[in-house]
Order: sequence, then structure tokens, then C-alpha cells
Amino acid sequence: MNGDDRQPSGGGDVGMGGQQGDSTPSGRPFARPGADAPQDFPDFPTGASSVAVDVLLASVRAAHVDSEREARAVAAFREAREQAAHTARTRRRDDWRPHAERRVGRSLRATLTALLASVTLGGVAVAAIGVSSGGDGDGEGNGRGGPSSSAPEAPSATPSESAGAAASAPGASRSDGPSDHPSQAQDTEAHCRAYEKAEGRGKAMEATAWRHLVDAAGGEANVRAYCAGQLSESDGDGKGQEPEQGQEPGQEQEPGQEQEPGRGQANSASPPSASSAVGSTGSTGGTGGTGGTVGAGDPAASTRAATPETGKPKKD
Amino acid sequence: MQAYDGELGAAVARAQEGDEAAFAVAYRIVQPGLLGYLRGLVGNDAEDVASDAWLEIARDLGRFKGDGAGFRGWTATIARHRALDHLRRQKVRPRATALENDVLDLPGPHSTYEQAVESLATQHALQLVARLPRDQAEAVLLRVVVGLDGPAAARVLGKRPGAVRTAAHRGLKRLARLLGGEGVTDEGPQTLGESR
Repeated sequence: MNGDDRQPSGGGDVGMGGQQGDSTPSGRPFARPGADAPQDFPDFPTGASSVAVDVLLASVRAAHVDSEREARAVAAFREAREQAAHTARTRRRDDWRPHAERRVGRSLRATLTALLASVTLGGVAVAAIGVSSGGDGDGEGNGRGGPSSSAPEAPSATPSESAGAAASAPGASRSDGPSDHPSQAQDTEAHCRAYEKAEGRGKAMEATAWRHLVDAAGGEANVRAYCAGQLSESDGDGKGQEPEQGQEPGQEQEPGQEQEPGRGQANSASPPSASSAVGSTGSTGGTGGTGGTVGAGDPAASTRAATPETGKPKKD
Repeated sequence: MQAYDGELGAAVARAQEGDEAAFAVAYRIVQPGLLGYLRGLVGNDAEDVASDAWLEIARDLGRFKGDGAGFRGWTATIARHRALDHLRRQKVRPRATALENDVLDLPGPHSTYEQAVESLATQHALQLVARLPRDQAEAVLLRVVVGLDGPAAARVLGKRPGAVRTAAHRGLKRLARLLGGEGVTDEGPQTLGESR
């Protein structure tokens, strides 16, 4: 098997014979002996030593087999057979088939698993990109125009805008552009509520979400006031949804989509294909936001909201 | 001993179909090397540990997949786990007796002359093997005594094949040195089969 394994180093120690067998501690048959044989006697015939080692190790093998113990093993075999234990499943450690054979089976399974996992994770990623890119496009587009201002700042200031947004959420498709506004507003709300609870504790304030909140509020000192405004506004918003929707029937789903056809289409159509969603919604949202809705928004609110909004959706 | 691998594989296959006699054949082929390995690991308790291992082997035979060489590796793994369990138990409850001077099975009263000589030779050989570091001794025993190839021995030991190859190489070198110290080198042109 291993001719090269048997090459001795050439070191022979004449003095070792006297130490034979007196250095093995009990219970640990392989404990390292205290002294190693020095290697400075290069008078050691190579071939003979390997033969000697062969002879030596051959004698380690048991030359005869205890028939009583053999009978016991066979009895155990019989018992297992009768209990149908031999139909048990092969575990990995029981599989000693030659490497290639085993690897084919395993690699096939591994490939399928990897494929499945990638499809699943890919789907999740695509969905996530679709959703976040919807927010992304809107955030950019609307940050400059009116509607985005309705998210953090102006639901009450520009009731018509928020009504349009709110109305399209339940009615139109989920990925329709304006439908993300309420959720962004709710995010801010949620951050505010969490802020109330976590204020001053630990590292919570270093988290990304908090930084966005602080940015949106325009400084850490302002967060409390900002949140107070947000929470009260959102309460009012929730109550006022139905009437507002009625006030401006023209702003409902149909017009909302017509107003910004590019954005609406891109957002609702794109979630299955990730990259196209990112690219197209970003650009169309941007143009739609600036072109289509800038007149409708509250300019003061929109400029205030523009700075925090641009950074926010990407990291959320 | 690898010449038996074909026979062993056939016996294992029949045993897996329920053939009791074939299981006995496999036992007789595997047991000598397995016992030698266990002697190196647990000394005098090798027979008992081997019996435990065989109970597990008999029970789990249906799970095994592989040929004769694979069966050697599989059984060696089971035996090794049993031996390590045994050593752990011993550590908890050390026995101060027989192992103190590492005396192995002395020839019993019913032994033939050949058995007695063999027993003494075995004892001597194990004393030498016992002077190796444990990883080297195990690698040597698995390769030479159990008859595993490098990758199989590595799998039994849960190590990389390269590490096991190095350990076996060093162990054999050191054994040769130890033997050289005894003057066994005079044995001259005695040859063993090259099957290993």
C-alpha cells in the first residue's frame, strides 16, 4: 500500500532496548513516551526495518477468533433481523460506498436543494426589491412633489393628496404608486412609538431607522415634537379617511393612475422582475413625481420633507 | 488482507439479506484486524469492546451501504466509538490493576505453543505501538492492521487524509526506529506479501 510510508528516518538508537516496555502509562496506551530516540545513528538498514515493522504489526492482528463471542454476535444479528431492525434507514455515517458513487447521489441531491433554495430566496429577494423599489421610486418622485409630503408631514395640510393616496391603497393594486404612502407614514408612526419606549436606552438610537427618524425630525432634539405631531396627525388621518375620499371623488383610483401613468404602470407591473423594477420605477417615479404632482402639493411641506425622504426608503 | 475484500463484500451483501452464515463469515474476516486495532486502543479490554461493537454492527447492518473495504471502515468507526466510550468511562472510574504495567493477555493454560508465542509477540508489538503518539498509533493500526486505505482511515479518525498519511508515515518511521533499537534489524530477508 505505501512503500514510502515505510522509509525509516535512518535514525537507530542502540540504547533504546533497555527501555523497552517500561514507559507506557496505564490506561492511555498511546501516551507519548518521555524520551524520543535520537536520530544520529544513520546505520539503519532500510528494507529490513520495514519488514520488521510488517512482522511486528502482523502480530497485532488477532490470529484466532473466539468462537463464543462470534456466536454472540451472530445471535445479535439474528435478533435484529427478527425485529426487522435491518430495514433501518442509512445514515450518512453508514454510507461507505466508493467516493464517486456516493458523490453522484449526494451532488444530485445537493444540486436540487441548492436550486430550490436559490429559487426560493431569489423569489423573496425579487419580492423585496419590488416592494422597496416601489417605495424608492415614490420617495424620490414625490419627495420633490406633493404626495410624499403627505407621508411624514402633510396629511392634514394637503387633504386632497392624502385622500388620493389613501383611496388608491385599498382600491387599486397593492403595488400602485401612491399606495405606499400610508405605509411610510405608518413606519414613521411606528418609529415614533418605539422611540417613546426606547428613548435613552442602549444603542437603539444608533440604529438606521432611528437615524432616519432623527433626520426626518431635523435633529435629535426635535424628535419628540416631530413625533407628537406625527402621532396626532395620523390619528386624525385615520378618522378622516372616509370623508376625504368622498370629498374628492375625482382623485380616486382611476385618476390617480391616469395622472401618472408611467409610475403606476411600472410599479404595478414590475415586481416579478427585480432589476427592471428598480430601474424603471426609479426613473418614472422621479419624473412622475416632479412633473405630475408638483403643483398639487404643499410646497413648504414638500421642501421640508424632501431631505429625509430621499435617503430613507433605500435603507428601510 | 485486502485480498479478502471481495469475499467480505459478498458476505456482507448476503448478510444484509438475512443470511446468518454470511454474517459469521464477515465476522471472521473482520474481527482479527478490528481486535488488533482495539488492543492498541484499550489494551486488555479489547475483546469486550469488540463484542460491544459487534452488537451494534449486527443491529445496524441494514443501514450500512458499501463494499468489503467500506465494511472494514464502517466497523472500525463503530469499534472506535465504543473504545472511546470505554476510555471515557475508565477515566471516570479508573481501574488501578492490570493496565498499570500494560500487560496484555498472557497465554492462558489452554493455549497451544503457537498461541503462546503469538500472544507474547502481540504483547511485545503492542508495547512498541503504545509508545507512539496516539494519532500516529491509530493511523498505523488502521492502515496496516485493519487494512484501510488512507481516505478510509481518515474518515474513521475524522481527520483530513493528509494529516492521517503524515501520522502513519511518522508512526511507521518511529516504530522502525524503536525496533532498530532492539536489534530486530538482523532479521534480514524475511518477506511479507506485498498485498498491503
